[in-house]
Amino acid sequence: MNSTRVWIVFAAAIIASFVVPHFLPPGLSDWVTRLSTLMLVAISWNMMANAGLISLGHSGFWGLGAYSVALLANAFHMPFWLSLIPAMLLGAIFGAFLAYITGRLRGLFFAISTLATSEALRVVALMVPKLTGGAEGVFVFDQIRPDRVTMTSFALCLAVVAVAISYFLSRSRYQYALRAMRDSESAVQMLGVNPARFRIGVTTLSGAIAACGGVISAWYTGYLDPGSAFDLKVTISAQIAPLFGGLYTVTGPVIGSFAILALSELTRLYFNYSGGVGLLVYGCILVFGVLLMPSGLVGLWKRRRKRAGPVAAIPAEVK
Amino acid sequence: MYLSRSSLMVAFSVLATVALPAMGHAQDTIKIGAPLSISGKFVSYGAAAKRGVEMAVDIYGGKIGNKKIEVLFRDTQSDPQVTVNSFTQLLVEEKVNFLIGPIATPMAMAGLPAWRRTKALWVVPGATTPLLEEEAGKEPMLFHTFPYAYYYHLSLARSLREKLGPGKTVAIIYSDDAYGREHLPYAQKYFTQEGFKIVAEELVRSGATDLNPVLAKIRRVKPDILLGVVQTTDGIQLTKQVYVQRLNIPYLVGTAYPQLKQWQDASGDAQEGWVGVTTYIPGMKAKADPKYPKLFMDSDAWIAEFTKRYNRVPEFIDVGAYVSTCMLLIAIENAGGVDDKEKVAEELKKLDVSTMIGRGHFEPSIGGTLNQAFADVVVHQRVKGTDAILFPKEFETADKLEQATYAK
Amino acid sequence: MASLIFQIMVDSLLLGGVYTLMAVGLSLAFGVTRIINFAHGDVVMYGAYAAFFAFVGLNVDPLLSLVFVAVLGGIGGYLLFKLTLDRILDAASINQVLLTFGLGLVLQNVAVILWTGDERSTTPSYAFDSWFISDDVVVAKGRLIAFGLAIAFVVLLLAWLRWSELGRATRAVSQNRAAASLMGINVRAMYGLSFALSTAFGTATGAIMSFLLPITPFMGFPILVKAFAIIILGGLDSIVGTVIGAFFLATAETTIAYVVPQGIGWAEGVAFFLLVMVLIARPNGILGTVGRDA
Repeated sequence: MNSTRVWIVFAAAIIASFVVPHFLPPGLSDWVTRLSTLMLVAISWNMMANAGLISLGHSGFWGLGAYSVALLANAFHMPFWLSLIPAMLLGAIFGAFLAYITGRLRGLFFAISTLATSEALRVVALMVPKLTGGAEGVFVFDQIRPDRVTMTSFALCLAVVAVAISYFLSRSRYQYALRAMRDSESAVQMLGVNPARFRIGVTTLSGAIAACGGVISAWYTGYLDPGSAFDLKVTISAQIAPLFGGLYTVTGPVIGSFAILALSELTRLYFNYSGGVGLLVYGCILVFGVLLMPSGLVGLWKRRRKRAGPVAAIPAEVK
Repeated sequence: MYLSRSSLMVAFSVLATVALPAMGHAQDTIKIGAPLSISGKFVSYGAAAKRGVEMAVDIYGGKIGNKKIEVLFRDTQSDPQVTVNSFTQLLVEEKVNFLIGPIATPMAMAGLPAWRRTKALWVVPGATTPLLEEEAGKEPMLFHTFPYAYYYHLSLARSLREKLGPGKTVAIIYSDDAYGREHLPYAQKYFTQEGFKIVAEELVRSGATDLNPVLAKIRRVKPDILLGVVQTTDGIQLTKQVYVQRLNIPYLVGTAYPQLKQWQDASGDAQEGWVGVTTYIPGMKAKADPKYPKLFMDSDAWIAEFTKRYNRVPEFIDVGAYVSTCMLLIAIENAGGVDDKEKVAEELKKLDVSTMIGRGHFEPSIGGTLNQAFADVVVHQRVKGTDAILFPKEFETADKLEQATYAK
Repeated sequence: MASLIFQIMVDSLLLGGVYTLMAVGLSLAFGVTRIINFAHGDVVMYGAYAAFFAFVGLNVDPLLSLVFVAVLGGIGGYLLFKLTLDRILDAASINQVLLTFGLGLVLQNVAVILWTGDERSTTPSYAFDSWFISDDVVVAKGRLIAFGLAIAFVVLLLAWLRWSELGRATRAVSQNRAAASLMGINVRAMYGLSFALSTAFGTATGAIMSFLLPITPFMGFPILVKAFAIIILGGLDSIVGTVIGAFFLATAETTIAYVVPQGIGWAEGVAFFLLVMVLIARPNGILGTVGRDA
């Protein structure tokens, strides 16, 4: 696809995201907002995974974004579009911090650090109630909350931008560096890319994107508490969506998010489930996904299209 | 691009699942929305409330006049975003005028901003947080049918004062979560008000393995009473460790956990002597309400009926949801069986019934909620594996407060 | 003052015992297979439930059912390994992380569905006993037992690693996979064995936890996070390092809890803080050799 066509597609998508929400019934509008926030963290997680960095603490970014909104909205009555900037900054800084402390250590250390630090953030949110409302939670100042249509447009627009970013990244000169980083950092050096700086770049960018998810969630819900802002479910969904839709790909997180939300709505209708079934299904998807179809739904489709060779444990190409 | 077959199918099914509910609804039903946590971490609350609501509708007969009662349960999945979704779906799409639930505080709080858009008649048989009161207490359409956190301490302080006399010393342990921090100021306020001297206030980490550091500090001040303002899991740890560490404090007081079977089973011998508060405990003997004997039956009859349906012993949320739903249904019928929230609200305010959990009547609360019912809590003590009820007088079964026991 | 120090010492030791139990299994698995088992906490949880049902249903004391539970845990772990992890041993580590994470989710939610979120506990008599060893200081019997068992486990494990045939083979694999295989050691079989041992330790720990902590399907996660902090602190592939890390963490947490106002609230944060410090300053941990990119 040549690049003018691509720009047109994205421009059209952005316009659509401002127009379409006006015509959506409220339930669907809510659903679209949820979908958008999920896409944001999914794309962000996928971006990090693309660089060999497995984040088990994505909820940390989400929570940071959400709490920064709550604090700024309540203290300074900052309007929602402006609140994005400090939130993204926080997310970026946190991402950079994580990359920095794990330096050149194996991906495993990164995974563990993300897990530990997101828990630590939750503890902090609990222990300083003067700042964060503590365990009781905090309401986002109601008067400046935007109406549903604006919220949905905004969310969709951000999601489209995130997709665009990941697309252009995958087409940029960094794409080879990304692929190399997954396998071996010394290979990356041979490409003339500084692995440490590259890592920091990736985590900074993804951190900022993930924080946007938290921002939308805070404005949309109007209330947050540490338990839900730093909920493990955010991390889990952020992983499952790309895995389901196609790890390391651009469209994977998008399709995966769609599929995951649809799946959860469907199981809700047909199973009327007691606690646990939803997460159980997610866990099974993770397990079977890794064992059987590591290239996700997108890979499945591509394989059928190409009728090509065996499935490797690692997807062999970035596309 | 690749977004063809599979995603179209997915999108279609999504649209279908959202559109379907909008399609099948007849004109001659009364719709009540029930956003509850039927899954997720608050599932025990949501499931209990669902039982209570369903049983109430069933015993009521399923109809008001010749209109069918339709309860629209929506699973909030213990997730704030989904809660908002559920509220929007119920209030804006289904256009319900009556809501019951959620029970868990964070879910009720998450639903509050969404509720403001239509302000349906909202019965809340849960949510102890005074934050609810601050934000929405003055709303005429809010009907809170569960005590706020401060009522626990009001009743506890009063009953302890009655049984023990003035001037005793109290040490407070509270957990660093919503529960503990919310309750602490009220514990301080009401115990001081009733003449107790607070000699220690110690924080415990929710989920901590070792409470020794805190217990050691408390041991040193030798209080007469220990008040543990924590949730169930921490309650179990606290109970066991206090016992094993032989704190030798004469009176041990908890909040809501001593009523729970799981706490009792897990604490074993250590539970003896613990005092707790609740809205309902087995052993409370209430008589049927003369005006509505079929709905508000004798305690024993109701328990038997519940056990028959669900094969388990009812706990406080089951009863609370049942009673709240009954009151709502009665009010709707009294208002003429119409879907008019203003009229129903008027009728609801006029109700004065005697239920299994005490008097059902809406009045302003201490903290400013316009419509508060069931503010009285029952103070009970674990004695030899059963509950002795100490307060209020109408349900009292024991007049003396027992001392706690410790490891030999 | 002396009494306070004594108290802190006693409590740190006892807590260290508990922490050692939590982390040892994880350390063994990683040391040999280089797999971090993100389902470790949930394995411990299953051990606790097993001990609970044995206690409530068959009236068997947790310390007795310990052996049986450990054996079951080992077999279960071996099967799990053969069915899942074995297939992706050579794949990128992302697969391994996601797989064990997913396994953890499955285990946890099966437990939620089967047993609900209600808290349980085993209540053997020693869990309610204690001794006064001075005016102010009390030692809980249950804790002391846990401490003793922790030491016993570690000693046994180290002895096995050093002196038994299989143990030495395991150590060989842990040090140098290729060389071990050249020596005729069936490396994959060693992997399976180590993993099984690790889950056996995990479930045994769970049986001990059954009378120390409330048993819920969600108890695994905090245990996992603690265990991580400990093994990183002590060095990912060193058992002795893990033990040292466990006691170090326990002492730091206990001291802060006693000395800092509201300290017990911040004590949880100590683990994270130490973790970050270690990562910045000395990623190998106290005694480990794994750190830099392989």
